[in-house]
Amino acid sequence: MLAISTTELSKEFTAGRGRDRRRVEAVRDITFTVERGERLAYIGPNGAGKSTSIKMLTGILHPTRGEATVLGLVPWTQRRELARRIGTLFGQRSQLWFELTTRQTLHLLARIYRLDAGDARRRTDELAQLLDATDLIDQPVRSLSLGQRMRCELAATVLHGPEVLFLDEPTIGLDLIAKQRFREMVVRLNEERGTTVFLTSHDVADIEHVADRVVVINHGTIIYDDQVGRMRRSLLQTKLLEVRFEEAPGAVEIDGVQVTHESDTVYGLVVDTRRVSVREVLDDLLDNYAIADISVVDPPLEQVISEIYEGRT
Amino acid sequence: MSALVAQVHLAARRTLRQPGELAVRVTFYAVILVIFSALWSAATKANGGSIAGYTAHSLLWYVAAAEGSVIATKPRMIETIGWDISSGAIVTEMLRPASVVGLRLAAELGEAVVRLVASLAVGGVIVWLYVGPPPSAAGIALFVPASLLAVGCNLAAQHAFAGAAFWLRDARSTWFLYQKLVFLLGGMLLPLEFLPTGLADVAKALPFAAMAYAPARLASGHVEPWLLLVQAAWLVALLACAGGVFRAGERRLEVVGG
Amino acid sequence: MTVALATLCTAFLEAWSNRRGFWFQIGIMAANDVAWVIFWVLFFREVGTLKGWDTHKVLLLFAILTTVSGTGLGLLSNSRRLGELIAGGSLDAALALPTNPLTYLLTRRVDTALLGDLAFGPVLFLVAGDPTPERALIFVFGAICGTVVLVGFLVALGSVTLFAGGRGEQADLGFQAILIFASYPIDVFGGLTKLFLFTAVPAAFVTGLPTSLVSSFRWPVALAAVAAAAFFALMAVTTFRIGLRRYSSGALWTRA
Repeated sequence: MLAISTTELSKEFTAGRGRDRRRVEAVRDITFTVERGERLAYIGPNGAGKSTSIKMLTGILHPTRGEATVLGLVPWTQRRELARRIGTLFGQRSQLWFELTTRQTLHLLARIYRLDAGDARRRTDELAQLLDATDLIDQPVRSLSLGQRMRCELAATVLHGPEVLFLDEPTIGLDLIAKQRFREMVVRLNEERGTTVFLTSHDVADIEHVADRVVVINHGTIIYDDQVGRMRRSLLQTKLLEVRFEEAPGAVEIDGVQVTHESDTVYGLVVDTRRVSVREVLDDLLDNYAIADISVVDPPLEQVISEIYEGRT
Repeated sequence: MSALVAQVHLAARRTLRQPGELAVRVTFYAVILVIFSALWSAATKANGGSIAGYTAHSLLWYVAAAEGSVIATKPRMIETIGWDISSGAIVTEMLRPASVVGLRLAAELGEAVVRLVASLAVGGVIVWLYVGPPPSAAGIALFVPASLLAVGCNLAAQHAFAGAAFWLRDARSTWFLYQKLVFLLGGMLLPLEFLPTGLADVAKALPFAAMAYAPARLASGHVEPWLLLVQAAWLVALLACAGGVFRAGERRLEVVGG
Repeated sequence: MTVALATLCTAFLEAWSNRRGFWFQIGIMAANDVAWVIFWVLFFREVGTLKGWDTHKVLLLFAILTTVSGTGLGLLSNSRRLGELIAGGSLDAALALPTNPLTYLLTRRVDTALLGDLAFGPVLFLVAGDPTPERALIFVFGAICGTVVLVGFLVALGSVTLFAGGRGEQADLGFQAILIFASYPIDVFGGLTKLFLFTAVPAAFVTGLPTSLVSSFRWPVALAAVAAAAFFALMAVTTFRIGLRRYSSGALWTRA
């Protein structure tokens, strides 16, 4: 069974007041499917329609047009049934009770999700271990840092063992380390429990480290949908080379290669792979110069993504 | 000094620019006034025309004046001030080369005067329609400065009260208590003549009486000009108190930290 | 234990977690209520009786008022904040759970200060309300009806935010209005105002009717109280449900 399936999903809002009232299409004709166990990043700039999409998929909003099913259920008509099988984490909304400990929130959630008491206790401890939060869940939530809190939020989100995890901008406001840890946790949940992950973000690094597939949305429509690996390779026909020469090489002129920065012995080169292959450039360099070190990297994903946004692909 | 006057002007203009908010407050004042007018009219009628020395006529003008004077200030101000103090936001004001409490009082005064005028205008119309013109022109003449003094006393007392937040964390939820003290001992809910004699004398000697009872007594037709002196004395005392509390509190903040 | 009760208990636990503040706020509220009792005692000391009302009856009114306020605004404190919560996006979090969102939101928060009212009301009744087992039963019945009307009224007002947007100010105003009018003996008001209090701002059903029931129980009045409660409950639930379908997720669409 597919985890998620949408067909021409659309949502219109009325915006503005008085004479400025107008219908705005936040999301238009969204069509895609997600297999079970996939990790999908749903990205786009601010105002692209990400949150609206996820809110329709979780049953919060009713669409204006179109259809969608999540785990075979229609979210906005079978919301409660679906809620038992999915987990949602909104980055800017907490579901943890602020003055209480995470464990106390989990206790209530166990009731709400009708989990057996013993079961719930076991799961709480397991999750605390999995998410590196054993010493956190018995502290009042208000005393936790944002990064710590997000891990506890994640525990609350998956306590009932959801099959699909919806994460709406979960890493907003987290520092670098906290973001990394959070992403690791999400990947771990997916790998160890087969949880399908649907993540919205406008942080490109979330894609790099979490997703195996990316859907790009802008101005309410999907403009790109592919595996992350392929995206990079197929979209930008450049590679970056960082070369350290044994001694200052002077000018480096190879057809199809641009020097982006140079400092004594370390040069940064951009290879236009449409004109010349990386292999040829490497051969050229090794033949003609004394090389101490070379690294070949893909262009940063940011660049790829912003080019997608701007429709240059 | 000019900084304070400028602050008053600024605050007054700001309040005028938010007619919606002002309208809401005045409407509430009007609603309460209508309720109390009904209450007191019925009460006096059931008691042969007068209670505790007040006729319906004088009682309604009393209520309009008392409420108008008190409602011009926001008792929740104590909570706001308390919050500013305990959250440390007040520290930025301490960096300015002017008295923290002085500037705040000036700002509050500007807002309060606008609300006072608006409320009293509306209240005056309502009560006039109900029972006719004010019982005494002299009373009203004295009432005008009395109402301003009342507002001043109230503001100063609120700040002195709220200053407890420099020392106590939960002080800000005490605004409720302050409000009730003004309501009961200040003679806003009922004239102090309703209190048993001993208590009435005590109440008249407290600063709360200056905030509601004094202007209301004058407006209700009892020409007792010494009330103005009492108010003025309390104003001076309360301003000194507020100033003292804030100075001590600021010093404490500087020493102890936020 | 049902989910709603469990949520309410957790909400109470949260309020209770700040022990010192908890008792302090309850104390302040009790002091506030005592002040009002003093006012009425002083008032009727001079006035005697007023259109069938005397100290005893007005204290009965106040006992009902505080009990209703303590339950509807203390225990179910989100009832008056519903518009705000919707505008702020808290409804989304409720919709993510497999529960009834309205019930969840209503039981999600307990207001410590107003719990003071809930403590005060019944005590006032026991002290000044001439309590007999029958009267106590009627008191509880009346308080429940009054609470349902109050909460229903506030929820309906708050649900308007689902249709019309805004930040829920209409609910705040409605709340202030109904509480003010419910605090005074209804017979003091003239015909037109009285009509107003049975319709637009149903203050009469919140305290007026329950008080008259305890004072002198009459079946038609009891039925009217139940009917009013049912009506406002229905109105609240219906408004909310219809509003949900038209929900635009308050939080600005531009943040999508």
